Amino acid sequence: MAMLQVSGLTKKYGALDVLKGIDFTLDKGQVLSIIGSSGSGKTTLLRCLNFLEKPNGGKITLNDGILFDATDAKTATSDEIRQKRLHFGLVFQSFNLFPQYTVLENVTLAMDLQEKDRAKQQKRKPSKEAIQNNRKKARQILKDVGLEQKADSYPFQLSGGQQQRVAIARALALEPDILCFDEPTSALDPELTGEVLRVMKELRERHTTMIVVTHEMDFAYNVSDKVIFMANGKIEEEGTPQQVFDTPKSELTKAFVNKSKNL
Amino acid sequence: MFDGAFWSINLELLRGFANTCLLFVVTLVASLPLGLVVCFGSMSKLTPLRVLTRLFIWVIRGTPLMLQVMIVFYLPGLAFGMPIENRMGAVMIAFIINYAAYFSEIYRGGIESIPKGQYEAGQVLGMTDSQIFFKIVLLQVVKRILAPLSNEVITLVKDTSLARVIAVGELIRAAQDIVAQQAIIWPLFYTGVFYLVFNGLLTLAFGAMEKKLNYFRG
Repeated sequence: MAMLQVSGLTKKYGALDVLKGIDFTLDKGQVLSIIGSSGSGKTTLLRCLNFLEKPNGGKITLNDGILFDATDAKTATSDEIRQKRLHFGLVFQSFNLFPQYTVLENVTLAMDLQEKDRAKQQKRKPSKEAIQNNRKKARQILKDVGLEQKADSYPFQLSGGQQQRVAIARALALEPDILCFDEPTSALDPELTGEVLRVMKELRERHTTMIVVTHEMDFAYNVSDKVIFMANGKIEEEGTPQQVFDTPKSELTKAFVNKSKNL
Repeated sequence: MFDGAFWSINLELLRGFANTCLLFVVTLVASLPLGLVVCFGSMSKLTPLRVLTRLFIWVIRGTPLMLQVMIVFYLPGLAFGMPIENRMGAVMIAFIINYAAYFSEIYRGGIESIPKGQYEAGQVLGMTDSQIFFKIVLLQVVKRILAPLSNEVITLVKDTSLARVIAVGELIRAAQDIVAQQAIIWPLFYTGVFYLVFNGLLTLAFGAMEKKLNYFRG
């Protein structure tokens, strides 16, 4: 049984059909790359998985539990959604770090708030030990992304590549089942994309389940287990990187892949 | 000039200045948080609430504060037969309402200038709306609105002189009393020094706050 199962997902903005019924599955530990030209709906799909957009129809199932079902309003209350979001992490194109917090605080903030919530529910004080552990954990993650030296810096003191690695650390801290990336290198200078892609490759080595919306065709080809090519709000073609890039069946995929190769 | 009369006049003026300071502090302490409530009303998703709040802001910003002071003071007596005894109280109410309306627009500008990505980053990290506002957005808003806020606060210091329109004994009123009793004009001009020093201190305070928030950008 697949870890993530998406079926019949649709999204409309007014009269505009952005997603016209998306079906796919993803196994634990796999890396899925979603490629396609701008406006094909790939970012919207990612935002639907993270509940930043509410799908109009379809179903999202994770680990045999229904996360979202358009026909069941109970799955769309704000508290439910907040809990379910935690299954997914999201790394944004423009990092969106919190400017007033240090690198370390950016990583610990959500963990600390969760501890405070738990303490409130159990009518106790937030445990100092838990907060200490959060800091320890954050330092370890920052070490993993190569930024332990920058723990006390503020976001504006970092390069774009460093900021994006902090954003990855921040998402990892909550241990999401699936880590999503929305064009993580598109806002970076070319010489800074490497350090971010390297971190993502390391995550793959550790069997992190990932969904990556990307324009980095080399990454999609070399790092992913599965590639989805989207066009006009639909999945035009999906398969292994070799299938999609080397032997595409659809004319649209062929055209897209050829154009990307010529770049 | 620096004889006994000078010091006794200073003492008279300080009594008026005490009222000026009282009006300033009470207005500020009440209207800063009230402005946030008005701001949330003007940004509400509930259309009637939003329209009503914006109508309120239009009326308050669209009419002179002096007129508002007179209406708050005289209207209850004229319309409902319940004259207000406490003149200072009436001035405070008018000032608090007026400044809350102005502050709310400054807040709204600040809140709407925060990139959507900050909210979304909080959302995907499982934060509640109030956590996002208080832990992520608020301090960034404060940093952005300090300059317009200092403008408004400095204006408030000078606006306190409008209280004399219903005979509240603030600084200018105290000076005018002296002018009338002793037939000398300089105490009236001299009040400018009080306002200037007060606003000088406020400018320094706002400068210090801006410096304090300079540790981050955004």
